[in-house]
Amino acid sequence: MNALAARGRRLMASCGGPAGFFGACMIALLLAISLAAPLIAPHDPLEVSIVDQLQEPGEGHWLGTDQSGRDVLSRIIWGSRASLAVSALAVLIGLAGGVPIGLVAGFSRGRWLEQAIMRVLEAVSAIPILIWAIALIGIFGVKDGHLGPLTFSNETKLLIMLGLLYIPTLARLTYTSALGESQAHYVAARQLQGVGGLRIMFSDVLPNCLSPVIVQATLLLAIGIIIEAAISFVGLGVQPPTPSWGNMLASARDYLLSGEWWLSVFPGGAISLTVVGFNLLGDGLRDRLDPRHTIAQVSR
Amino acid sequence: MLSLALRRIAFSLFSLLVVSLTLFILTRSIPTSPARIVLGDQATEDQIVQFDRDHGLDRPIVVQYGRWLRRLVFRADLGRSFTTGRDMNQQIADTLPVTMEIVVIAFIAATLVSVALGTLSALYRDSPIDYVARLIAVLGVSVPGFWLALVLILFFAVERDWFPPGGIVPFGQDPLGHLSSIVLPCFCLGCFYLAVLTRMTRSSLLDVLGLDYMRTARAAGLHPARVLAYALRNALVPVVTIAGLSFGHMFGWALIIEQIFNIDGMSRALLTAIQQRDYSMVQAVVMMFTLVFVGANLIADLANGWLNPRLAAGA
Repeated sequence: MNALAARGRRLMASCGGPAGFFGACMIALLLAISLAAPLIAPHDPLEVSIVDQLQEPGEGHWLGTDQSGRDVLSRIIWGSRASLAVSALAVLIGLAGGVPIGLVAGFSRGRWLEQAIMRVLEAVSAIPILIWAIALIGIFGVKDGHLGPLTFSNETKLLIMLGLLYIPTLARLTYTSALGESQAHYVAARQLQGVGGLRIMFSDVLPNCLSPVIVQATLLLAIGIIIEAAISFVGLGVQPPTPSWGNMLASARDYLLSGEWWLSVFPGGAISLTVVGFNLLGDGLRDRLDPRHTIAQVSR
Repeated sequence: MLSLALRRIAFSLFSLLVVSLTLFILTRSIPTSPARIVLGDQATEDQIVQFDRDHGLDRPIVVQYGRWLRRLVFRADLGRSFTTGRDMNQQIADTLPVTMEIVVIAFIAATLVSVALGTLSALYRDSPIDYVARLIAVLGVSVPGFWLALVLILFFAVERDWFPPGGIVPFGQDPLGHLSSIVLPCFCLGCFYLAVLTRMTRSSLLDVLGLDYMRTARAAGLHPARVLAYALRNALVPVVTIAGLSFGHMFGWALIIEQIFNIDGMSRALLTAIQQRDYSMVQAVVMMFTLVFVGANLIADLANGWLNPRLAAGA
């Protein structure tokens, strides 16, 4: 029993305290729900039924039905897939691009390469991500895109774009840590051993730069959920009939004044809970991994 | 201070250049040309060549960009839309003030309230007011503004008749009605930034209050209000930076909020342009956003140089 309690305490500490642990649990639950969507969703999220349209929450449809008689709960459960996939894959793309760029820039301290990379990144971050994303989708259109034999759905385009837009933030963060690390004695020691620059960067320095990056990535997951929802809300994100929390809210807007409150309250609640989860986890991780709070709260 | 100002201005101009060039190249590299959109699928190859020549689209991108930039810089002229022929300066002049009013009011309210709340929360640490401020900070960053807007419309406009559910009453027509029609949009827009800035003020002020010179000031018998004024001057530096960023971000979120409240501002202009595939309009609106964002950051940097002369000297 004691061993179990100790393990629990360790787990909690690794999330940065009870609040962070609670956030991690929320996210784990959400992941489980979205993976198990086919098993736990009570209805088919796309099944249209005219006789059932706009039913209030009650037996049979716990969270009511929408204008086409589709079950709101099932749509929220399936919609979690779009939201989570977009925000998680976007962060992965951002990490894959941003971390190497930041490392290279940090290691080129004092050379023109450092200046060139950092100035361009700063200039690109001169526009908020939301506006970049809306502008880019506006320019490329919401129809499926084609590149050679590949077809990109709008969802895919959105996540690639978000990922590219995360690169400056993550690169700048990695750069700041790498700059400090590149001065460290162990780097000089490795250089004297004749180890190549790239090898030092990725196998020795990278692990020491990751803490702030992990924290920021967690917070970016929350931002991604909100941006995906916002963009789908204005009709430029996940396209109907595929359910996403954002496009559910968008169609709910037409029923706001006629009193069908459940159409907007529940999907929005799902967004808020998810964001709370990621934020709690991110704050907890920050307390643990970045006690000096070098990461400023990023406004979305 | 002068060198800081010059450097920041140079950097702002560089940002504008990079962003505008990126947008320009992107809008010019879409497979469907404006000629196709305007003339339709039936247009002959000759007609398209003619259209491109008339609008200067047959020149190399760099030349087109140079012309566009020259007109923008020397004549403040965004040009006409290729697809609709609308004068883009006019379009911006029609929509920008509406968006600007909402953003400015939301920004001022959020900044004032958050600095007051953050200060109280830091001064009376672990008191009920601190708990309230921290609760607001957590809720504010987690609840998305557009959902808050939907819920508030349900609660205050549909269930009760306190505020109109959407649209803006012109100020000249009914000043009071105008104010009541912008309360909800401003509130929904400002909430997130209120939370962020409250948190920032609180933590920054707590850091400064714990420093040695604050203890010295108190020990020397300075009036508490005086001590607080000194502390705030130093504590506000990060708050001003974040506030500057927030202003630009609020402009972006105003797009979504305007959409919910049916307000005829920049968001309508941008989304209509996107629907009509009017790229030159998209480009113009996004340029305006960039200008506001870069300008707000520049002002924040300069304000910080004034608040804390060491920054200006060291930078």
